[in-house]
Amino acid sequence: MKRPSTRASSTAPVEIDEPDIGQESETEKPWVVLVWNDPINLMSYVTFVLQKLFGYSLEKAQAMMLDVHEKGRAVVSSGSKEKAELDVFRLHEHGLWATMQQD
Amino acid sequence: MFGFRRTIQTKGPDRFAVNLGEEERSVLRAVCEDVVAALDDDANPLLRRVFPVGHASDPEIEAQYRALVHSDLLRTRREILTRVGETAFDTELDRVTLDRWMIGINTVRLVLGTRLDVIENHMPEIDHDDPDLPAWALYEFLGWLLEIVIQALSDSAPTAGR
Repeated sequence: MKRPSTRASSTAPVEIDEPDIGQESETEKPWVVLVWNDPINLMSYVTFVLQKLFGYSLEKAQAMMLDVHEKGRAVVSSGSKEKAELDVFRLHEHGLWATMQQD
Repeated sequence: MFGFRRTIQTKGPDRFAVNLGEEERSVLRAVCEDVVAALDDDANPLLRRVFPVGHASDPEIEAQYRALVHSDLLRTRREILTRVGETAFDTELDRVTLDRWMIGINTVRLVLGTRLDVIENHMPEIDHDDPDLPAWALYEFLGWLLEIVIQALSDSAPTAGR
């Protein structure tokens, strides 16, 4: 697999693709990346990191953060296994509790 | 005059003035150094939130993921906290460094919050003679500082409004 970048410093969005749930072929089910609720991470921090890493609008990032907060978890991105692994790594770099699973 | 200075003031897209007291800066440097030292034993249970599980349902894939990324995560974490400690007394930071402050302060909060067994979003009632009172005060201070850092980064974000 592609080695994920170890730089955590970039403040520019690395990618701006919207998660394309449902657009993968039938043969390869997409992977989803989940962020789980944690009482320590600030709500503003979760929102900001989602904006920073995925280029989401404030509204979209806030809606995801509230899902994490209220429902315990939220899907924050999806795609190929490689993309999901990189996203999990970047979220872990930022101290968010992220996991991946095949949808 | 009661001049109100923002704790972190945006001077430009890549310039932030930091108006913290010497004591606060000393505390920030000290906690970063403490966590860097704690990273030496990465089996330390206090670090479990710093290195979370990526594949909760599959121990085998989780072991592969850990083997692949753990050393990278550990090194980045150490670099970030070291950088925050080094710049704790700077009165002006660029955006990249302020971003490091954000991740570094959050890392310290994850370790301290794990130690304090934080289970709620709000601070519990603490007796004035509770031995953990100083740690709670530190936790609150770091939360306050982190909010301010995030605010400064958000207000001036290149991606703002998208």
